[in-house]
Amino acid sequence: MELAVQTRGLGKRYGRTWAVQDCALELPAGRIAALVGPNGAGKTTLLHLLVGLLRPDAGEVRVFGRDPRDVLADIGFVAQDTPLYRDFTAAELVTMGARLNRRRWDAPLARDRLARLGIPPDKPVGKLSGGQRAQVALALALAKRPRLLLLDEPIASLDPLARREFMQTLMGAVAESETTVLLSSHLLADLERACDHLVVLQQSRVQLTGGVDELLDTHCSLVGPRAGSGSIAGVAEVVRASHTERQSTLLVRRGDGPIDPLWTEHGVTLEDVVLAYLAEAGARVPASAWEVPA
Amino acid sequence: MIWLTWRQHRRQALFTLGALAVLAAIMVPTGLAMHAKYDSLGLAACRAALGTAPLVTQTEAVARCESLGHQFQDQFSGLVFVAVLFVVLPVLVGVFFGAPLVAREVEQGTHRLVWTQGVSRLRWALAKFGLVGAITAVLAVGYALGVSWWFRPLAGATTGRLAYVTFDVQGVVPVAYTLFALALGVFAGTYWRKVLPAMAISLAGFAVVRVAVEVLARPRYLPAQTLSFAPTGTQTPNPAAGNWVMQQGVRNAAGELVLPDAQIGPCPPAGCGAGGGDVGAGAYNWLEYQPGDRFWLFQGIETGIFVLLAAALVFFALRRLRTIA
Repeated sequence: MELAVQTRGLGKRYGRTWAVQDCALELPAGRIAALVGPNGAGKTTLLHLLVGLLRPDAGEVRVFGRDPRDVLADIGFVAQDTPLYRDFTAAELVTMGARLNRRRWDAPLARDRLARLGIPPDKPVGKLSGGQRAQVALALALAKRPRLLLLDEPIASLDPLARREFMQTLMGAVAESETTVLLSSHLLADLERACDHLVVLQQSRVQLTGGVDELLDTHCSLVGPRAGSGSIAGVAEVVRASHTERQSTLLVRRGDGPIDPLWTEHGVTLEDVVLAYLAEAGARVPASAWEVPA
Repeated sequence: MIWLTWRQHRRQALFTLGALAVLAAIMVPTGLAMHAKYDSLGLAACRAALGTAPLVTQTEAVARCESLGHQFQDQFSGLVFVAVLFVVLPVLVGVFFGAPLVAREVEQGTHRLVWTQGVSRLRWALAKFGLVGAITAVLAVGYALGVSWWFRPLAGATTGRLAYVTFDVQGVVPVAYTLFALALGVFAGTYWRKVLPAMAISLAGFAVVRVAVEVLARPRYLPAQTLSFAPTGTQTPNPAAGNWVMQQGVRNAAGELVLPDAQIGPCPPAGCGAGGGDVGAGAYNWLEYQPGDRFWLFQGIETGIFVLLAAALVFFALRRLRTIA
């Protein structure tokens, strides 16, 4: 299995604060992966490390086994807010791509894509709608025929209709190719249907990573009598527990063997799993920081 | 990269060419008028006759040459203020070309677009700085040649080429100032990464460095020479030598400066009356100056200083560029 992305002990620091810390990540080639986490979790920093815009302060990052700056031609990147030269027309941006990507540039693909989306070729892109601009940025990234496509919150600023169209275009494009995709969002719902791999980032650390099916198989929700602190047969880890007077609801990772029949098993959605991990690692500001009693 | 750089900066380039054309439309007629007047007064011939020795004997010819110079000045001295405009031109290049070069990309986030294509960041920077620098240098050479030609009669008729302002708009230093301003703007843009602060800093930085070099360093490139001559003689400093006078006055026999910024004599060809006056016997005229023939040497030194500063700024800008994401 070829790894599109591999990081070991990866860290990036701004001043004394670590934006990404101790990050171990493996993304097999061919996957469509969602990078999920709340705002400020370090998603953008991680993507910038993967595309070589940033150099790591700790650990190492490999894209197809090499330094990202050596494989720039194989990486397509759409930055947050889809920056483009606003006074350029879409046609000029395609020309620019050809000039900057001598090794591989599929201009007919970009033109075809933009034509089908009804993007005017001779209008400055600054005058297009946000959704159209995002489509232009995506078309430029795809024209590189990248083996790895990174998108930083590509749909965060779009309206619901433009979101759906963008995701449709993206999925249509990568279905035809072998491209590995990693796209970030702070809303899992946007990506849940499209992705088959998940990376959850919280407070600069990777909290959870794996294939979607695998994650759904290995996690379940248990409802049973108010639990003590004892371990439960067949459960490897209690991710999150909530209690009422008489009963407890647990989200657990399965271990070996069947689960204690005292507990009732329920299936979980991906969102349940992600929220459980996020809540567990959630920001904890001590009450003293606000000068109020805990 | 050439295509991209041209596409991004073509509007600026055309604006600049337009502005230079307007400037030329004003400078060419006034320049031609000055040259014509300079020749018709016979100033060139009269000054050539005086030679470049620091002292000449006061004769009819010297007096006539000085009075012709005054005539020329009376007519054209207002144009010296136009020269101040030329002193300011290089900093505009730094503010409007240099500062936004990187800062605008970062401000609008487009560096993330252009640095993640197939061209490395270093190549992007070298191509961009190189092209903008080369075009700026070509424009600056044209500007320097034009202004040197325009200013020659004014400099000749007045204080000589080494004086403040006059020195700054002639020869090769305007090119060096322009490149320095550009490098300073680029550097400021990579450090502050916002267009407006970068513009303000390059403007202020340019002014500070230029004034410091001009006032503190330039008079000391080489030790100044001094000249003493008797108040009762017929010798006087040569107005055609183009010397840059730093200090002058009358010193008494003990060597103390008793009359700053003054000169006694020279005696008219008919002979002196009671010389010396109230400064006492043994007093002499004294002059500290940089000889006019050091013009090109000083130009070379000052050009070297600013080109080195520009190179250092580009180096630091490139280093800084690696840390931007």
